[in-house]
Amino acid sequence: MIVVEAKKLGKNYGRVKGGVQAIRGLSFIMEENKIIGLIGRNGAGKTTLLKMIAGYLRPTGGMLRVFEREPFNDLTVSAKTLFVDDSMTFPLSFTLADILREAARFFPGFDAKLAEALAEYFSLNLKKSHHHLSKGTKSTFNAIIGIASHCPLTLFDEPTSGMDSSVRKDFYRALLKDYIQHPRTIILSSHLLSEVEELLEDILLIHAGAECLHLPVADLKEYAIGLRGPARNVGELAQGREILHREEFGQGNIYLVVKKNFSPERLEEARTRGVETVPIATDDLCNYLTGSKGGIDDVFRRN
Amino acid sequence: MILNPASMKPIYVQISEWLEAEILNGHLPGDERVYSQYQLAEMFNVNPATAAKGLNLLADEEIVYKQRGLGMYVAPEAQDRILAKRKERFVNGLLREVVSEAGRLGIGKEELISLIREIAREGSGERTREEERGKEKGTE
Repeated sequence: MIVVEAKKLGKNYGRVKGGVQAIRGLSFIMEENKIIGLIGRNGAGKTTLLKMIAGYLRPTGGMLRVFEREPFNDLTVSAKTLFVDDSMTFPLSFTLADILREAARFFPGFDAKLAEALAEYFSLNLKKSHHHLSKGTKSTFNAIIGIASHCPLTLFDEPTSGMDSSVRKDFYRALLKDYIQHPRTIILSSHLLSEVEELLEDILLIHAGAECLHLPVADLKEYAIGLRGPARNVGELAQGREILHREEFGQGNIYLVVKKNFSPERLEEARTRGVETVPIATDDLCNYLTGSKGGIDDVFRRN
Repeated sequence: MILNPASMKPIYVQISEWLEAEILNGHLPGDERVYSQYQLAEMFNVNPATAAKGLNLLADEEIVYKQRGLGMYVAPEAQDRILAKRKERFVNGLLREVVSEAGRLGIGKEELISLIREIAREGSGERTREEERGKEKGTE
């Protein structure tokens, strides 16, 4: 079943002219019971997209369906969807214990035992009020709500911001274990793919509001390859291919990153002519795909 | 269980290789049930779909077989198939690479063979018999 479907989806903030195009022409399908990573740099449009899916924001162009309905102002979508980020608001007079108690009434699938056990594990003081929590503790508590509510569509927007590294690891493992027991659709946004990569089934990489890449995460490691060696031989091998990244170094040497669709024979032959092949780390690949033209070196070259 | 995320090998390949090692060292004998994708996902802390991909890799190579509704089981011939596959990969990959690199470095055929023999001698005593056989071939 398809849970989220977007066709030429767009979102402008402010006036059309002079306003900001946060999402431009995004089309994709997200299937049920997958963990999907929404990856992009700061300002790529991740939060805007998630808020449209959650029904918080109304699209200004194209089509968006969540559980086959338009999500904006829709109670059915709202009942099946949970949006978790660090600015979740709860009634000011509520303690954490109050929130957990109400959440159990609010979400039909809420696992109160799990929520309490997680809160105890992360040493949360349930007598405290939510708006007095530190940034990291707030993230941790919101993440617990996100896991324990077992919502059919759970959206996590940068859920680990402010968490220390040990809490992060525990959170991801808790999410995975709970997902195995209660499969559901989870969208997880992050600007750092390597942190969530192993947890994901699919990845949607966006840049400047548009899609860069949407594929099973397992295919990502084999998507691109680095070629390093004498400029002429590397250039010959890469001819006619889209170059994702280019660096010159030393005398007449070059490093190119291109899509990986060479035959092993072709690579073996290139190796004998001094062309080295380098695997591309997935974080680097995302940077290449979403990067501005050139690199930081160009900034300094001008002076 | 720790995976190496920095490795060139995709995670699902690393999982299938770990299962192969478990079959080779006898922890998973023939017709024994293999871990499910969910067990593997928990063990390796990865998405169950990634674990399933590792299992399917082994199913494609007939190292494990599917029992409808029950899961995956180790093929009785699994050990032989893994060894044959690895041997083939060793000869066509690593060994060819060694020979062509030796060529690039100007190491002659005889020199290469005696270097290999020397390294094998440094290894464990168990290797001696293979080495003897190698010597006979070398003198032919």
